[in-house]
Amino acid sequence: MSDAATEQGRDRARVDAPLKVSGLAPYAYEHELEDPLFLVPVLSTVATGAITGIDAEAARAVPGVALVLTHENAPRLALPTIPTLAVLRKPRVRYRGEIVAAVVADSLETARYAASLVRVDYAAPPSGPDVRLDPEDPGVRPLRRVMGVYPGQHTVGDVDGELAGAAYRVEGHYATPVNHHNPIEPHSMVALWHADLGPLATVQPRSTRLTVWDSNQGVVAPQGVLAGAFGLLPTQVEVISPYVGGSFGTKGMPHPHVMVTAMAARKLPGRAVKVALTRPQMFAGTGYRPETRQRVALAADEQGRLRAVDHEVFAPVSRVIPWVDPTAGPSLSMYASPTRRVSYRAQHLDIGPGTFMRAPGEYTGMFALETAMDELAREMGMDPVELRLRNEPEADPESGRPWSSRHVATCLTEGARIFGLEQQQQPGGRREGEWLLGMGVASASFPQMGMGPSLARITFTGGRYVVSMQASDIGTGAWTVLAQIAAQALDVPQDQVEARIGTTDAPYAIIAGGSTGTFGWGSAVVEAAQAFRAEHGSDPAEGATTRARTRMPQGVRGVRRMAFGAHFAEVAVSEVSGEVRVRRLYGHFDGGRIMNPRTARSQLVGGMTMGLSGALFEESYRDPRFGHVVNADLAGYHVAAHADVVDIEVGWVGEPDPWMGATGAKGIGEVGIVGVPAAIGNAIFDATGLRLRELPFTPVKVLEAWESSGPAPAATVR
Amino acid sequence: MIPPEFDYAAPGTVSEALALLAEHGDEAKVLAGGQSLLPVLRMRLNAPGIVIDISRIEEIKGITESGDAVRIGAGATYQDVLDSALVSEHLGLLHKALTEVADAQIRHRGTVCGALVHADPAGDVGAPVLALDARMVIQGPDGERTVDASDFFVDLFETAVGEDELLTAVEIPKHTGWGAHYEKFVRVSHQWAIIGIAAAVRVEGGTIAEAKVGLTNMGSTPLRATSVEQALVGKEATEDAVAEACAQVGEGTDPPSDLNGQADYRKHVAGVLTRRAVVAAAGG
Repeated sequence: MSDAATEQGRDRARVDAPLKVSGLAPYAYEHELEDPLFLVPVLSTVATGAITGIDAEAARAVPGVALVLTHENAPRLALPTIPTLAVLRKPRVRYRGEIVAAVVADSLETARYAASLVRVDYAAPPSGPDVRLDPEDPGVRPLRRVMGVYPGQHTVGDVDGELAGAAYRVEGHYATPVNHHNPIEPHSMVALWHADLGPLATVQPRSTRLTVWDSNQGVVAPQGVLAGAFGLLPTQVEVISPYVGGSFGTKGMPHPHVMVTAMAARKLPGRAVKVALTRPQMFAGTGYRPETRQRVALAADEQGRLRAVDHEVFAPVSRVIPWVDPTAGPSLSMYASPTRRVSYRAQHLDIGPGTFMRAPGEYTGMFALETAMDELAREMGMDPVELRLRNEPEADPESGRPWSSRHVATCLTEGARIFGLEQQQQPGGRREGEWLLGMGVASASFPQMGMGPSLARITFTGGRYVVSMQASDIGTGAWTVLAQIAAQALDVPQDQVEARIGTTDAPYAIIAGGSTGTFGWGSAVVEAAQAFRAEHGSDPAEGATTRARTRMPQGVRGVRRMAFGAHFAEVAVSEVSGEVRVRRLYGHFDGGRIMNPRTARSQLVGGMTMGLSGALFEESYRDPRFGHVVNADLAGYHVAAHADVVDIEVGWVGEPDPWMGATGAKGIGEVGIVGVPAAIGNAIFDATGLRLRELPFTPVKVLEAWESSGPAPAATVR
Repeated sequence: MIPPEFDYAAPGTVSEALALLAEHGDEAKVLAGGQSLLPVLRMRLNAPGIVIDISRIEEIKGITESGDAVRIGAGATYQDVLDSALVSEHLGLLHKALTEVADAQIRHRGTVCGALVHADPAGDVGAPVLALDARMVIQGPDGERTVDASDFFVDLFETAVGEDELLTAVEIPKHTGWGAHYEKFVRVSHQWAIIGIAAAVRVEGGTIAEAKVGLTNMGSTPLRATSVEQALVGKEATEDAVAEACAQVGEGTDPPSDLNGQADYRKHVAGVLTRRAVVAAAGG
């Protein structure tokens, strides 16, 4: 019996931690190859228009420049399935910051200098680019579906009737800004097109033609995209991505620099071509969380039971990829209500597309819904936890399916007890000098998706077990946890198992996305371990190996699986400067079985920190004339620093979910961020009586709210 | 980002503050709103033995009428001044300039007198105060004295306030009915001025009767563009008429050269911005 039966026994530091902190874990850009070349992309300086000419003479004349790549000399590729990746094909620009050329040289400095010499002329279209967000624009259209699976329009019952005749009713307009992921490690890649393979090699399905060292959430995505575009078999493209310095969704799907760098490598066989995007380049072309404007109306009866949930979403979408976050998702499933309406409208703009960003949709939608729930509780004079408990749905309101497990009530009540939630009847009564103090609560949820099966292989070699699969550790702890899961299933000590992940030279696995890694990959690992024991017994021979795939319980489609949680915030708001300080955050989660309490805690604390940062600071300003992000660096886009993050703690229910496969674990990568801004905003209301409905809660917004609501609630002491 | 260790005192009266200054001499730094001092401490550009926090001294708070002038106490923040009806009515130039100071958060903490004593030539307060012929009220061991703004700014970060003294107020003569504009040239709105032009004019029947022009960051102290002021008198308040008078504003100045611009560039831009400021002040 291993000690993994107890949660404490599963506590393990990350196996890659020593490498990471000593700088020895090689990131994509750091793979040393002989005589490499360096690629610097040239980005468009207009949002739309035709390229009328590219003058690259000066760039080509710079000593050390090996190649200037433009649409005129780029390799002709098959049309990629991801439209953003159709770069250097035509002399046209679809959004500001699209790659229109690239310079490859024998040093980064030379490449950067030569890139500055490339002159691109554009013919502007007769009307300027559409880059200004406007909900009243005549081009705004309702959406039928969102992300292909969520309903764009969904109505149950007479919502307007219930709202009109309600005992209690609240309605608010909410806004969330563009956010950028900003992982510490930039998007980067090294591509090597193998030369001198001989004529036979080109037809050998297993001879590698292209090797890329890339930073991604799963090697399968660049492998498939590059193979398709260059007319190769997937087995001829090798992708190596052992360590990833953060992603948060932006490295889930390849971005244009991947295509351009592979094109350069194709034209320079035998030479490694390296690229690392700068921070401004990341802001321009690697996706973002789109902004939203939302309206939420709630109706409730005398007892606080919801009678109507009404959630409208307006979002801008790119003409290149009409990406829309499922922002109203939480309103479909979070609370019981006899009537419900969800609707989306979108405006098509000449901007780069958004992409997955940690809890896409849930993060923005839960801000609006959970703020509205707090407004309703205040309107009724009811405890905000009690209001939520009264609206717990017995089954999923949208599908009618039973929950696989749902411990929201425990998260709320246990969390409130541990945190010591105490709100004021009248906001504004608690102060320390100039600081007004308050507390707030909000719920969290995140769906548990099925991303398809993964494969895992277990091999016994040198007296140890190796579990290998294409899984990716984007800072989550997968290196550690997959080995732990294998050790538990094999019933051997943790240090007898090691993982091999982050390479295409391993069995296929889904990408690290949608909070599915631990339970999806983990199930395959458990299946492989059990099959290994069945096949090879407890005393396997050297080289014994077995492969198996993810298996979910029969009937899993008949249940609704979600992770849940509740957030509690204590804030101090300066009546002098409008500054908001988050003094404490506590989150209590329903994450199924916790596979490793240390990495789980880090994931949840990380999510909450990102939520705090989004609540108080993060906002990308898009220039309404030209369509670029104005504050496109970490000086202009403030991400929470240590001084902003004082005291964050987490707890959990820890109850395994029988419908999550062999691990019983729910995904916890995203649920930690959901609801944090609402909890902080609700605490600001408790402190000040100010209801802020637009993120982020900057000092200016607080001061303006104060100004428009009259004097501060308590006499100024200064 | 962590300041060196220092002692801290928060006196309740001016005389207590002066006693502390007398005791600690050049070991002491005075804290009002802290918007310049705290970054300086955090970056360890200065390591005072004691910080004397004057923000709790009641007697230096407030903005009051003082005969023909408006008196702004050392405790008044930029926002206090912006919110003051006296300032809006009588000191339009100061009001305009203060709307350009940093951001709202800083304006709610930083103080006008603190900025004057800090005497950063790129700060936005010196030029309008100088242009409006303010008087600085300074208290020290020998009692109170008054220094004209023209004698107040000595050099980069240096003023007439002695080590054992405290600037307790600034008195600015009323300029009721004057047109005013502060033209700040800056890359990012909350940053220090690359240069700034403070202009106040009194227009009579479409003609400039009096003009006052102060310059931000065109030298080691705020400057007064006296020759421009004289050249403007009698001119029509139109762009063409004032352009010539303003063009030579940089003459005789010694602006800095830095990443934001060379000295000759600043001199050129100063001429353009002075014209714009004067035209805007005249209501053009």
